[in-house]
Amino acid sequence: MPSTQSPPLLGGAIDPTAVRPPIDDAIVERVDPSRVHQRLAELKNEGYTMLLDVGGVDYPQRTPRFDVVYHLLKMPLRKTSVSEVGTPQRLRLLCGVPADATTLPTATDLWKSADWAEREIYDLFGITFDGHPDMRRIQMPNDWEGYPLRKDYPMRGPARERSPRPAFALKTNVNAGTPPSGRTLEALQKQIARAKSGAHGEQS
Amino acid sequence: MSISATPLTPEVVSKDGNAMVLSMGPQHPSTHGVLQIMLEIEGENIVKAEPEIGYLHTGIEKNCEGQFWSTAQTNCERMDYLAPSNNAFCYALAVEKLLGITDQIPERAQQIRVLNAELTRIASHCVWLGTGGIDLGALSVFFYTFDLRENILDLQEAAGGARMHPNYIRVGGVNGDLPEGYIERLDSLIEKFPGRMRDLRALLQANPILQDRMIDVGIMTPEEAVQWNVTGPSLRASGVAYDVRRAYPYSGYEQYQFDVPTREEGDSYARFLVRLDEMEESMRIIKQVRDRLLKTGGPVMIDDTKVAPPPKETIALSMEALIHHFKYMTEGFRVPPGDVYQATESPRGELAYYIVSDGGNRPYRVRTRPPSMYNLQSLKGMAPGNLIADLVVMIGSLDPVFGEVDR
Repeated sequence: MPSTQSPPLLGGAIDPTAVRPPIDDAIVERVDPSRVHQRLAELKNEGYTMLLDVGGVDYPQRTPRFDVVYHLLKMPLRKTSVSEVGTPQRLRLLCGVPADATTLPTATDLWKSADWAEREIYDLFGITFDGHPDMRRIQMPNDWEGYPLRKDYPMRGPARERSPRPAFALKTNVNAGTPPSGRTLEALQKQIARAKSGAHGEQS
Repeated sequence: MSISATPLTPEVVSKDGNAMVLSMGPQHPSTHGVLQIMLEIEGENIVKAEPEIGYLHTGIEKNCEGQFWSTAQTNCERMDYLAPSNNAFCYALAVEKLLGITDQIPERAQQIRVLNAELTRIASHCVWLGTGGIDLGALSVFFYTFDLRENILDLQEAAGGARMHPNYIRVGGVNGDLPEGYIERLDSLIEKFPGRMRDLRALLQANPILQDRMIDVGIMTPEEAVQWNVTGPSLRASGVAYDVRRAYPYSGYEQYQFDVPTREEGDSYARFLVRLDEMEESMRIIKQVRDRLLKTGGPVMIDDTKVAPPPKETIALSMEALIHHFKYMTEGFRVPPGDVYQATESPRGELAYYIVSDGGNRPYRVRTRPPSMYNLQSLKGMAPGNLIADLVVMIGSLDPVFGEVDR
């Protein structure tokens, strides 16, 4: 059974979106990064007034490596009844982003709602959006290193050796003197080391 | 990682003139969780509002990639913790679409799913109403709504075994049939509900204080609502009757009679009324499901032991069942490669999963379309020009859940 710490990379080379079974959930289109903004603007004029979601997917062994996925919905821009809304058309625009040029033009000038979605893709995948008014991390802390939703990012965060322990756990931080119990940190560590080496019965 | 993060600077909001930057939250009681809003104010008036989210980020989408298809669902239920069944419902539907077994789900399972989804919707709106009432100073509403919610949680516990996260709706059906006496308990809820709604409406709807606080506060036109990607009751309060249950019926929703409540005004009071109406519409659906459940028997789980574990009682009797059970628990099941976008109507709006499978026994990518996040984002367009005190009303009327906003 594979470890849950490293999700299987098998299949990253193939493109699941190309071999998908016939599921009728939306019109699917693929577009180059150079044309994505133009295409989005066209679609908006065609009546796809709602940018429902922008998501990202990482296929490390594929070229281009990333997919940025726009989900659009054809919705009238006025007060409507249930029958007027009907079954609005969905459209999915997939845009492949190569690993060496992880930049896309922003969609925030077309839809205000793209703001947080694009920030989230930057935060979790490291794809930046040109012309975005506020390109900061959104979910992770500002000083976080790495992009967690990339497939090469370990499931439990960066290796523990690489990250220093928090200040309160460092030995140099213990300066309160001997605690009332008399058990200093060093004594405790010795005790643990003894227990680990299996030297039982050596009570000092 | 060092813990000394760079502090949130006032650059978040542009500074000029006599404006002052005020940080509201992340521990403000009216923010319904951990939301920080950087406000630029002139006196009491909001010039600009920039919500800061991410305080509750737990990496659920990443975690799902390391789980089996069946166990990832448990994580998904933790996103919108006020409506766990709706999350499980949407995830199960998406995976079933990828597996190509959508039309093999037993009739009874589909009915139980709808029943659970609608019960959860009422329970979720109960929390919104209770806590929203507290925000506005109407403390006693909380006790009325949580009493009603308690009855629903009891029903969920009876069916799924847990009050908050029952994990009852599974890929392939639901986990076990409804227990004995469930319908009777449901009946007592159905009987109690109209009176309780009458109480709530009497307490709130015509209350002049609440009307003063809510009417004409946080107005969204249909254009703005669509532009900001608002869905659910908040969109319908602006006059756009978009309900996923009607637009893309799933799990047999097309068989039930229910209205989609809409309002024209688009203010906080309209959103409040739409949710109240929605609770009653949900109860209408529940009554119809109840009648159908009495007529429909049969299995509640798909008869495909590759996708669903065999019934527990067969394990001691059949070698095959034992093997299938073992394989299911240790290896999970495989899903054909492909991607799918499945939308459902959660209490907060269009909840959707964009799921990519690479043919393995774990999801390759689970992307949620979190309705709360987009609804909350509209605060940036809604808040400027209002008073700080009204911001609390607007947040309450959007009903965000931060487990889902931050995931």
